[in-house]
Amino acid sequence: MANPAPASDNGGIAITEHRLANGLRVVLSEDHLTPVAAVCLWYDVGSRHEVKGRTGLAHLFEHLMFQGSANVSNNGHFELVQGAGGSLNGTTSFERTNYFETMPTHQLELALWLEADRMGSLLAALDDASMENQRDVVKNERRQRYDNVPYGTAFEKLTALSFPGEHPYHHTPIGSMADLDAATLEDARTFFRTYYAPNNAVLSVVGDIDPEQTIAWVEKYFGSIPAHDGKQPPRDGTLPETMGQEVRELIEEEVPSRALMAAYRLPHDGSREADAADLALTVLGSGESSRLYNRLVRRDRTAVSAGFGLLRLAGAPSLGWLDVKTSGEATIQQIELAVDEELARFATDGPTAEELERAQAQIEREWLDRLTTVAGRADELCRYAVLFGDPKLVNSALGKVLDVTAEEVKAVAAARLRPDNRAVLVYEPLPDTAAANDAAEEDAA
Amino acid sequence: MSAYVPAMTFHPQPEPGTPTPWAFPAPDRLALANGLTVLHCDRPGQQLVAIEVLLDAPLAAEPEGLDGVATILARALSEGTDTLTAEEFAGELERAGATLDAHADHPCIRVILEVPASRLERGLTLLADALRAPALPADEIERLVANRLDEIVHEQANPARRAAKALYADLFAAADRLSRPRSGTAETVKGIDRAAVQAFYAAHVRPTTATLVVVGDLTGVDLPAMLESTLGRWTGEKAEPSTAAAVTADDRGRVIIVDRPGSVQTQVLIGRIGPDRHDPDWAAQILGTYCLGGTLTSRLDKVLREEKGYTYGVRAFAQPLRSNADGSGRALLAISGSVDTASTAPALADTWTILRTLAAEGLTDSEREEAVQFLVGVAPLKYETAGSVAATLADQVEQHLPDDYQAEVYRLLAALDTAAATEAVVAAFPPERLVTVLVGDASVIADEVKELGIGEVTVVAN
Repeated sequence: MANPAPASDNGGIAITEHRLANGLRVVLSEDHLTPVAAVCLWYDVGSRHEVKGRTGLAHLFEHLMFQGSANVSNNGHFELVQGAGGSLNGTTSFERTNYFETMPTHQLELALWLEADRMGSLLAALDDASMENQRDVVKNERRQRYDNVPYGTAFEKLTALSFPGEHPYHHTPIGSMADLDAATLEDARTFFRTYYAPNNAVLSVVGDIDPEQTIAWVEKYFGSIPAHDGKQPPRDGTLPETMGQEVRELIEEEVPSRALMAAYRLPHDGSREADAADLALTVLGSGESSRLYNRLVRRDRTAVSAGFGLLRLAGAPSLGWLDVKTSGEATIQQIELAVDEELARFATDGPTAEELERAQAQIEREWLDRLTTVAGRADELCRYAVLFGDPKLVNSALGKVLDVTAEEVKAVAAARLRPDNRAVLVYEPLPDTAAANDAAEEDAA
Repeated sequence: MSAYVPAMTFHPQPEPGTPTPWAFPAPDRLALANGLTVLHCDRPGQQLVAIEVLLDAPLAAEPEGLDGVATILARALSEGTDTLTAEEFAGELERAGATLDAHADHPCIRVILEVPASRLERGLTLLADALRAPALPADEIERLVANRLDEIVHEQANPARRAAKALYADLFAAADRLSRPRSGTAETVKGIDRAAVQAFYAAHVRPTTATLVVVGDLTGVDLPAMLESTLGRWTGEKAEPSTAAAVTADDRGRVIIVDRPGSVQTQVLIGRIGPDRHDPDWAAQILGTYCLGGTLTSRLDKVLREEKGYTYGVRAFAQPLRSNADGSGRALLAISGSVDTASTAPALADTWTILRTLAAEGLTDSEREEAVQFLVGVAPLKYETAGSVAATLADQVEQHLPDDYQAEVYRLLAALDTAAATEAVVAAFPPERLVTVLVGDASVIADEVKELGIGEVTVVAN
């Protein structure tokens, strides 16, 4: 069969950069295909900056950013943006907090005004009522997404095993219930004063914009917000390249089936080795032509699902995320044996030429998918600016992945995808759970 | 509290500029020689092309006792063809940078391909092979059946899935396919084999009753020729399109608690049925339902989330179930979310108060204004991608609506007044005709819920 043509041959995203006197970095990218403009603001603060006893504070604080500021009422941010035909949200991860609005072009200025108002004057509106209310909302977010669903706390448990003790990535952004309860209004104020400064943020605006007009608005609304330098760097996240020995935890609880999950310590995001690791995990565990899917789901029929994902981290080792749910009576031992066999074989032989081509085509499609919306592009520009210092890196990112060789993929697999370089989480259902589920099958009403 | 004086210079809230006109894209139609209907729409710049195929294989057509055969067929379409094994087919798709998903729902089977524009022809060839000559191999079907049985156990443990299953089972008559899980129960799935899947394919998958939707950057593509040389090779006997049976539901107010001991939250799903999108008041219902529960500044979340903190978020929505061209179809109307266990009864009490207040006092003009601005204004970004346009065009075909339906909804929304929106949402959510499903710890919540007076309470085992 003939080789498929390359998926895209465009020259990349047009980017201009600016820096205001107060240190705010601004990245603009013009694209007039659709009459919309995306505003994205990354603050260089995430859960890795939190201190002992205050896990979850960065995320709780993100919620407080929607509770009004000097000229915006409680919930006014949502009302004004949606009332202008825009969509918006914010998210918190280990390494950053982002806020974004996508607006019809003619409402772009409103989004800039709103972001500037809360960057410069949040504390004018922040009060106990907001704090108490959003504390309850976030606790319900935690229950809904993690505590009340089977395997819901696996991410938290495996992260804790992967980054031991006092490591800044030991806890996940959602935080613990106890710490959420303990957070005070003064903690939130201090957090704002420490991290929410123009010189600790990158603003990107992408879409149907006039760059000159846009930078004039940015200057007008953000220009007078004072810089400040109270920020503490996150605690050191340096770890050896490999773990040296396996860590393992057995969970016995009410889950529908056995599960084997593992996190492998991998190279930092931004490195060529991280791209090689991405390709290795794609060949091994992404999609229905991957080695683990073929082995466990198709051939052995010991698993209902089997796959690998990559959690890219820049300030600590990335994690290669294995998730296998067993089928029927299959045991963890069977699964583990097969996984280790496949990983060992891959470490010895590397990917075939066809596997590498498929993996690169998949990553290329995912990349196209992310860049297909103005909001997706705005977020990527902020990512490269905040984590790697240069938004223009967005234009060479895909080329780097396509440039990686089979030899490099094999090398990273051999060095990292080893049993002595992983944290393992095993789920065993409680003895009566399976029986309860069988009985439940019959009573649909 | 210290006096806080922001150091920045404030400016008045800016006024909007001049809106750029935008309209939902109008598709063009063509028919292939084999009878396949095609809707296509060029979206310059959208390098990921979205393709949806609607197969006239409704769940109601599944043979007695074989619920789930449509789902197994949908999944089996990508398990190999006359020239490729299952593993090879998956590999070829990935090599083209494509994804292929298929699922069966009450109106039809939908097959969705996404592929980079530069590899469109390869993607269409693979899609055509999957539809034209699927191998439907016995061993892969046996595996898909086993997989499905495993999945059922996982779904049973998921509160949101469990709530939906309980609501559909109680709301609809037992004889109606709607009352039973879309992908079958353990009992029915166990009975599915290659012969059953092959027979369902032979009876319902054919180009003359299928529709193809293609959306994306089609610059320089001779689409009719490319389609004829790919999907045009698919052949089949002519057949009459299916028609959907009428939907009836018993929505007298009542409460079903699915007992899930130890739950830290209660999953809440409150539902009934209403008209489908043919109804002249559909646009007004969209508007009113958004004001009730479309976002966190809507009436429900304003109280349940932003005042009381009972939930991460509750939404009200309408979801078409089964439609006919004559407008006899029906949609599920629902309120859905989860609340911490202790707040279950208080959250329900507030919900009923909100609905009664809405009926008594109506929506305000400013609520209507903000909702219209959002629903109409957000359209250009909602439909930025090829995939979102293709999905909406496919929904219109599936529900027997004209190609300009969505464009017309936007025109109607902009013109609606507050009274029309109030009337529609009050008609959609009458407090005494709502079936409430709660998946949670019955030992903690049942007594308080009984005292609310929102209907007779039944507790069932999970």
